[in-house]
Amino acid sequence: MITLENVSFAYADQGPSVQDVSFRLEKGEFAAILGANGAGKTTTVRLMDGLLKPTSGRVLINDMDTVKSQVSERARKVGFLFQNPDRQICKNTVREEILFGLRTVRGDEGEEALQARTDEVLKDFHFTGDEEPFSLSRGQRQRVALASILAVEPEILILDEPTTGLDYLECCHIMDRIRKMNEEKQVTVIMVCHDMEVVLDYARRALVMAGGRLLADGPVKEIFRNTELMEKASILPPQMIGLGLRLGDGFENADTPEGMAEAVMARRGKGGAGA
Amino acid sequence: MNNLFQYVPGKSVIHRMNPITKLLITIVICVAAFLSDRLLFLAGLLAVDLLIGVIGGVANRTWQIFRGLLKIAIFLFLLQVLLTRKGTPVFWIITDQGLLTAGKVVLRLVVVCMPLALMLAVTRISDLTNALVQVLHVPYQYAFTLSTAIRFIPQFMEEMSGIMEAQTARGVAFDKARGLKKFSMILPLCAPLLISSVRRTDQTAAAAEVRGFRLRTRQSGYKRYPFTGVDFGAFVFCGALLAAAIIL
Repeated sequence: MITLENVSFAYADQGPSVQDVSFRLEKGEFAAILGANGAGKTTTVRLMDGLLKPTSGRVLINDMDTVKSQVSERARKVGFLFQNPDRQICKNTVREEILFGLRTVRGDEGEEALQARTDEVLKDFHFTGDEEPFSLSRGQRQRVALASILAVEPEILILDEPTTGLDYLECCHIMDRIRKMNEEKQVTVIMVCHDMEVVLDYARRALVMAGGRLLADGPVKEIFRNTELMEKASILPPQMIGLGLRLGDGFENADTPEGMAEAVMARRGKGGAGA
Repeated sequence: MNNLFQYVPGKSVIHRMNPITKLLITIVICVAAFLSDRLLFLAGLLAVDLLIGVIGGVANRTWQIFRGLLKIAIFLFLLQVLLTRKGTPVFWIITDQGLLTAGKVVLRLVVVCMPLALMLAVTRISDLTNALVQVLHVPYQYAFTLSTAIRFIPQFMEEMSGIMEAQTARGVAFDKARGLKKFSMILPLCAPLLISSVRRTDQTAAAAEVRGFRLRTRQSGYKRYPFTGVDFGAFVFCGALLAAAIIL
């Protein structure tokens, strides 16, 4: 689990980027940090992995202060998927890339076990292993980066805009695998995401930030239905929720096309009964 | 370290100078450092560097550059002191000649490296490019190549630091290793850096082409770069500095 206690952070020669942020993520949660550009989302997730050290306050990963240990030591437990996969990829084949991460943090398990784990991951991600990562498309490179992180089987997965620049299909491929890890292995997931449809589909908890401060923390659907909060954080809710709120009168709870269809049918039935 | 070569906005007298004048000052300081062999004169040139930084309102940046160079300077100083055998021994294997040579080498290094970084701190790259084309009649393609190379330095440094951060998050112990060990860990990362650099260069070239790169001539720029009184004052200063370097 991750705990942030009154965390503040300021970059050199700049004003505070994160101010007095506190929350706690339990094992197996799937949370999303929402907010406009410059709200402090990326800074917050970088603080969570210890890539940045808080100016004040504490960040605890499994009750261990991030200041007291190195980022590389936490790699076995915390996986971080960056927005740009090219910064993570450094090997000539997908197999080597996955093995590189495994050898770095699970080297003590022996080469045979690591090769077996690599085969498993390659199969799961539909790679042969011989592909050259830098020749793949942007979406496929993002999948390679994710595969090499998930291969390690971290307890916590931090995602910084994992779906940026991906088409719908690639986005679903990536997010479905993350959900699978979250549901089957109780991996705690926290992601920064600008695509509210993705957030609605996959996250269960939302943390809303603006101006470096945490404005709200709660279940995703509840957060999206808070129009005042959405306006304050400069966020547009997902289309279905937005439509349901605008229609009102029985449609407020519809958040999927199916839900909307059901609400319409119910309304028709009511209309029919009335007539 | 990442922003050492980036422009610092300001309205100082150095900022207002013609970019060509600033380039001339940079060259003159470097030439003077090689012309003179006197320790005191080199120390004077270092003072000029620092003074330019202070007058240009970039004292913090000057200090950052100086501090960065100091590490290399100390290494070079020790190397020179320990390897020079000429002269009278002062202490252990250290000779007076060794100390003097080391002092000169180190001062020369700092004096030569500082003005270029300082010039970039007080000059917009676009102004430097345009002034080279308008005033010195350098073909735009060459000026653009120069300015792009300078512009890419901080971007490459930022990219490298991003790659190292991403690898640290994967468990590569960049945050624990020091010296040669760290250097050996960096080597494999040259591949992603090279690939991202080629990609970026390709994108920049495409962006330049679609914006009419080959159509640009000396007349294309709207902003003009005339020489003013401050520039003529700087020319006199440059002449005096060169003369002093030759005479002293």
